[in-house]
Amino acid sequence: MIEVARVGKTYKRGDGTPVAALKDISFRIEKGEFLTIRGPSGSGKSSMLNIMGCLDKPTCGTYRLHGEELSGYTDKQLSHVRAWKIGFVFQSFNLMPRTTALENVEIPMIYGPGHVDRKRAIAALERVGLGARAHHYGTELSGGEQQRVAIARALINDPPLILADEPTGNLDSAGGAEVMGILRQLHREGRTVVLVTHDDAVAAYAEREILFKDGALASDRKMAQFPVEAQ
Amino acid sequence: MRITTGIGIAWRSMTRNRLRTFFMMAGVTIGICSLTILDSVGENTKREAMKRFKNMIGTFDTVIIRPGAGKTRGMVSLTNVPPTLKFEDAQAIAEEITEVKQVALLQNAFDIDVKYKDRNASPAIFGVSANWLDLRGDELASGYFISVEDTQSLARVAILGSNVVPELFPEGGPLGKTVRIGDVPFQVKGVLQSRGAGPGGGSLDDLILIPVTTASKRLFNRDFLTMLIVQLRDPEKSETAMAKISALLRQRHHIAASALDDFTMTSPRAVMAQVSQMASTLSTILKGIATIAMMIGGAVIMSLMLISVSERRKEIGLRRSVGASRQDILVQFILEAALISSFGGLTGIALGLGGTNVAARIQHLPPIFVLQALEWTAGLSVGLGLVFGIYPAWRATQVDPVKALRA
Repeated sequence: MIEVARVGKTYKRGDGTPVAALKDISFRIEKGEFLTIRGPSGSGKSSMLNIMGCLDKPTCGTYRLHGEELSGYTDKQLSHVRAWKIGFVFQSFNLMPRTTALENVEIPMIYGPGHVDRKRAIAALERVGLGARAHHYGTELSGGEQQRVAIARALINDPPLILADEPTGNLDSAGGAEVMGILRQLHREGRTVVLVTHDDAVAAYAEREILFKDGALASDRKMAQFPVEAQ
Repeated sequence: MRITTGIGIAWRSMTRNRLRTFFMMAGVTIGICSLTILDSVGENTKREAMKRFKNMIGTFDTVIIRPGAGKTRGMVSLTNVPPTLKFEDAQAIAEEITEVKQVALLQNAFDIDVKYKDRNASPAIFGVSANWLDLRGDELASGYFISVEDTQSLARVAILGSNVVPELFPEGGPLGKTVRIGDVPFQVKGVLQSRGAGPGGGSLDDLILIPVTTASKRLFNRDFLTMLIVQLRDPEKSETAMAKISALLRQRHHIAASALDDFTMTSPRAVMAQVSQMASTLSTILKGIATIAMMIGGAVIMSLMLISVSERRKEIGLRRSVGASRQDILVQFILEAALISSFGGLTGIALGLGGTNVAARIQHLPPIFVLQALEWTAGLSVGLGLVFGIYPAWRATQVDPVKALRA
């Protein structure tokens, strides 16, 4: 599914001095895996996620998704990959302001299929348990509900890969548990879920954990299978 | 992304932030509105100036000759007339120069009291030849004009300008009545149709026409003329005719080769060309002002769009993350600018048409809508959005989604 080979990422600071965010990272993720990327802030885990999500390009090394080597892809080709293959979930939800839950969920359909299918958008909201709140604005929803809208949005084009960057970081424990429950459900349906997190409780959902430290891969281990069961 | 989807997105974004949309539209509206109004005012002023000069000059196949060296250009002065242009000069021009079809004569005076019963008026008194009506292009409202026999017999007949009638005959029926012009009785033979305003804005109808011979011998006691109107057989040959007339008059007035003319010739064509030129200049200046207004409108669009782009970095980042390419973002923002400026433009045109009506009413003229101008104004308002929307839209494509989403 995902093959990261000798990937490096170097940023330039304001004064021009280069900073290495990622150094010589290599790993593989098989289809249907549920893994977390952990590490202290600044360890490069978010940079890795952005490269995996085609929002950023590696400075060196290769990134393969579904066997496609993406480093030579144009902006348009990468956008196509993002639209169809990847669903993003962010820490700060990133719902559009002054926009209903339904309209938020519809946005990726503009760039994937090219036309908006309202029925599918409603079905996606029903899946995350928000069918009744389709016409509510983001500000009228709780944090957990907002994140569930964001998940419905990530799922609308049926991508095989879900990338989540601290999805429970801004939620209380109940909201976090709901969101994690949905992510686990997605995993059980056969989707690949990659999750960046600090939170041990969240990490406990995963089968595998990759640890980053100072831009390098510190460890990569399989976890005990599902220590936290559904409530 | 389909264009209809794009328009849908732009529309939603416009309705989502109404205040911003309103101000962007207002920028274009003001520009387009002032363009529409000023364009029409310019056109109207030009046409009106032409019309007034036409009123004053009459026909176009003529040359006007006045005594005295050229002191004033264009406008005809009827006061302080030097006594150099004689009846015999007019006769000589008519008889000796083959290009000349006929010559009309004018002798005039102001401040002469005209009385009918107990009523008074003091219109301009014009002594004219029988062909005056023809050469001026005027028409009679009623009665008859001065005839050749009238001029030969020094008849005391008068033709009233349309303003004089209500002053002396408020009850109407002036024909056949006797008015006293400077204590000389004249019988009213005809009434002129109104000529409207002259170039200075004053009325051209406050006058009485009498036979030029009667004026000269019975009223003014003068043997010199105020003005000659020379009609040419072929207006295309006015240069030759004017040269010949000039030579003839110089010879008759015994002017030495080195001395200046003691008369002035004006060709209505030349005057009209000048007037037209002036009016066009005015029109151009007004267009310039309107263009500046448009530029300001464009600057408003551009600055609000730039603010909008920086406010919407998160939205841009999000759209990019769910599959929008840079091109999709570019199209979205350009469409938004174009749509807003088209709406602004349409509003501007509507307000401009209303404003044109008001401006025309202030000018006391019928409003003129130049359809062709409306077309390019409409095009301009879309273009304005496109041109001034491109840079902000390009900036939107340069938003780094990673940074935008992290915030």
